[in-house]
Formats: sequence, C-alpha cells, structure tokens
Amino acid sequence: MAFLTEDQFTALQLLLKAPSKDAVRQICTESYPAGASKSQSIAEKTANALSVSNSEAMQLLTAFHMLSHHVVYQNLTSPEQILPIFPESFHSNLKNLITKIILENSVTWRNEALSSQISLPKLVDLEWRVDMKTASDSLSRMAVPTCLLQMKLQDTPCISGGPSESTVTMELSKETLDTMIDGLGRIRDQLSAVARK
Amino acid sequence: MLQLHFTNDTLPDNVSTDFQNLNKLSEQQFVRLTEILYQFLLEPKESERFLRQLTEFAGENGMSAGPLRALMKSVLLLPHGALKRNLTAEQVKADLLSLGLNEDKARHFSDQWRIHYPVLSRLAVGQTLMVNQLVDMEWKFGVTVGTSELQKTGNIFLQLKLVIRKGNTTENVYMELTLPQFYNFLHEMERAKASMDCFS
Repeated sequence: MAFLTEDQFTALQLLLKAPSKDAVRQICTESYPAGASKSQSIAEKTANALSVSNSEAMQLLTAFHMLSHHVVYQNLTSPEQILPIFPESFHSNLKNLITKIILENSVTWRNEALSSQISLPKLVDLEWRVDMKTASDSLSRMAVPTCLLQMKLQDTPCISGGPSESTVTMELSKETLDTMIDGLGRIRDQLSAVARK
Repeated sequence: MLQLHFTNDTLPDNVSTDFQNLNKLSEQQFVRLTEILYQFLLEPKESERFLRQLTEFAGENGMSAGPLRALMKSVLLLPHGALKRNLTAEQVKADLLSLGLNEDKARHFSDQWRIHYPVLSRLAVGQTLMVNQLVDMEWKFGVTVGTSELQKTGNIFLQLKLVIRKGNTTENVYMELTLPQFYNFLHEMERAKASMDCFS
C-alpha cells in the first residue's frame, strides 16, 4: 500500500473542523469498510458534520481509508510505528488522536479481515440424524442404521454482493461414517503434530 | 394350491414343471448348474457371463440353450423371493420339495443357500436406495501466509471436498472449515457414530 500523498494528508487535516473527538471517531470507523470511500451517503454525512464540500469529504474518507488499511496490512501495533507516517507539519494533536483511534480499532479490523478473506464456501451449520431402515424393495425386513447429514455453507463474496447460502444433504452408511471418522482423526493427528512444532 | 414361503403369488404352471425337470439332471450336472446360479446371484451385474456359462453348460450336456435359459429364469424366482423375505435354509428346502425337486437336490441347493446367505443379504442391503450418498472425501489443510488486507498472517484452514452421488452422476462439494469448526465436526460425527453403534 502506498503512503499517502501530501494532498491526502491535507485532506486528513479537515478533521480539525470536527465538532468533537467522538465525531472524528465516528467518521474514522465509518470510512474503514471497503467501498466506504466511494459511498455518497457517507460522504454527505461527513460533509455535513465538518461543513465542507462533498468532494473534500470524499478526499478525506479516501485518505483515512488508505491510512487505516495500511496500518492493518503492515500490522503496526504501537504509536511509535504509526506516528512517523505523518509529515512533520501535520497537526500534532490530530495526529495523536487519529493514531489512537486507529489503534483502538485495529484488532477488530484485523479479525474482520481474517474472517472475510477469500475462501471456499464456509461451513456455518451442521445437522445429523440417524435413521433405521426397516424395509426396502430388495429386502422386506431389515435393520440397517444410516446417517443423514446436512451442512449449511455460506459463500461470502469479498468484492460485492451479499452472502449466498447453500445446503447440502447427504446419506452415509455405517462404513462410510467409520471411514470418514478415520480420515478426520488423521487430520486431527496431523494438526497436533504441526501445532507441536 | 402350493403354499410357498418365497412368494404369495400364484406361480405359472411352467415354473413347477421347470423345477421338476431339474430332477432329470445327474448329481454332477445339478451341482455345476447350482454353482453357475449362485455365481450370478453373488455378482448380479455379470449377466453376460451367466448366459455364456449356461450356453456352455447346455453344449457340454447335450441340451439346447434356449430351454435351459428359460428354466433358469424360473429357478431364479426362488432365491430372489427367498432373499427378499429373509428365508432360512430350511424354508428354502421346504419350498423346493413342495415344487417337486427331489430330496438330494433340494438339500444341496439349500446348503448352498445357507453358505452364501450372509453375502447375498449384504449385497441386497447395498442395493437399497440411498439418497445423495457420500462416496468420497478429500481434504487438505494449510496456513494462510498473507492476504491483500493483511501482509502477514498465520491462520490454519482446512478444506474439504465431499463427493456425493446424485443419481448417475457425482457432485463435488467444496468447503472450508476453521479449526474450531473442524473439531466440532469431528465431535458431531463421533456422536452420530455412537448413536449408530447402539443399534448394531
């Protein structure tokens, strides 16, 4: 992520016009999500709160968005790591306030980034049921247990659009279930081996 | 009217005649024919092999293949019905005697039934309807090293591919689990297995 340009730091100083520290905090947290810097409604809200034009508000939001994402990306965790990013001429109190706000939120933002990264559809729910088959067209009397498994998967696109949910239901015989548990047990053993290293 | 264990339907006349015709075979011929029949029952997909063996048998024993095939069709009715109704060897023997097969041949056939019954019934269970049967599972797990949002991470992920049979085709289902989800999944599957084990 590129460092901010001078213009962008200038835009950040528009925050000096905020009526209170909480207002600054709110603008900062609203500008973090992807797409926020392009959202008209957030830009308007910000423009009203700071009594600046829409385009200036947009610049401010973009600047803060880049700054906060840079901090999260590089995993900067202390003020000493963040303060040097600002130019010498930057308003000192505002610099400290912005740094404080970013640090307050960085853990939350980092966890959000981890949970919304690119991945295969995620397993969100699991249900099972064990049935007993008592008859079929090939055997008029039988007592065969069988397991039904339903998994709910959620696919959250990273870029745009809402999450899409899909359900898959499957039937497992006793042998299949035993084999599956064997396989899962092997995964567990490998995971503990990796964790031990 | 014949009271048979393996079926409640009225059998056509030729079935009874066919069973009685088996009496004409020598002991050796009957043993061989029974062997061919049970081979087919144990591997029901090998119908071509079954017909071929019958044709060979007919040639070796001076019979015509056509009538022999028709006879075997009738004979097959008994093991199919017996399997469906979980008949014992004694019941199979009783039915054969009712149909007119002589004592020695009936005993041989029902002995073979006793021997092969466990495998045959397992086969029948295997043919029972299964909806969206899970046929295979593949997995990989690894570590996420970095993303576009985070330069350095160290997250473990587990990816599963489940292969499900839907009718004649299979469908692949891909998913990702976090570690806690994986442990939960394993725990739930063990609970399901414990539940199944109660019944067997």
